[in-house]
Amino acid sequence: MAIIDGLNKAFENKIRLGIMSVLAANGSADFATLKSLLELTDGNLASHTRHLEEAGYIRCEKSFIGRKPNTTYVITESGREAFAAHIAALERFLQGCRGE
Amino acid sequence: MEEKEVKQTLDDIREMMSKSSRFQAISGWSIVIIGLLAGVASWMAAAVIGVSDALPCFENLQRYAVLDTPSKIRIAALIAIALFAICLLTMFVFAIAKSRRHHLRFVFDKRMMQMLLDFFIPLAAGGLLSMALVMQGHYGLTSSIMLLFYGLALVNCSHYTYPILRYLGYAELLIGIIDCFTMSHALLFWFLGFSVMHVVFGIAYVLMFERKK
Repeated sequence: MAIIDGLNKAFENKIRLGIMSVLAANGSADFATLKSLLELTDGNLASHTRHLEEAGYIRCEKSFIGRKPNTTYVITESGREAFAAHIAALERFLQGCRGE
Repeated sequence: MEEKEVKQTLDDIREMMSKSSRFQAISGWSIVIIGLLAGVASWMAAAVIGVSDALPCFENLQRYAVLDTPSKIRIAALIAIALFAICLLTMFVFAIAKSRRHHLRFVFDKRMMQMLLDFFIPLAAGGLLSMALVMQGHYGLTSSIMLLFYGLALVNCSHYTYPILRYLGYAELLIGIIDCFTMSHALLFWFLGFSVMHVVFGIAYVLMFERKK
């Protein structure tokens, strides 16, 4: 899909796009929720969220529920913008296809 | 096949966004079954209250005719409560089965709690109000109050699940409003709202969301 303009490299991976979809729809989600929705293993999910975190698109909030550590991921403002731009680019491409 | 791939990606995004934010476990068939159960219950209530003298099939139920009105209403109320409990059970059993089958989440998390609260608060208010009215001997508006508050409950919780549930709520509200301006025929409106509407909506729901793709 390299020929499409405006696509975000960070979202080329299906799983990362899935994480961003969940966070864009809900604002935030905890680790267990993301894991079950995307049907991933702990390690797999952690490596993808780390990538998105480093890009500044999501933020990680750690807290405790009782004594259990709880990780929640929150979408950042730039994450929202990047996700919207990515979708807009995909839609533009589709419209281009139809127009021809 | 670039175009197909992009379309698929957009569909995946859309599906993940709605799967994660909406409660999709409600089963269409359970709505149909609830409608059928409500139909049976209204037939039983009709037999007890005795609206059906004209119908030959109720002749053997004439023994209820010796009862006075308050005890008839009490029996009808018991039927209604039993129906409510069976319907709730049906909903949950079918919802759990559906979420297992489709790998949907069925966890009592914050969202689910909020949805249940949004549904049950108007419903409980309406239930208590109609109970109070019955206890004070005002039977006339019971069916409209049940329909109206049930409609409000549906509209109130619809944004947590398929938004189309809102239209079932609107339909219940409309039937409830017509009912409260109509003298008598309460059971007919109740049957229309709780039985016919559920069966019709349930079938529409199955066709729209649960047909094999």
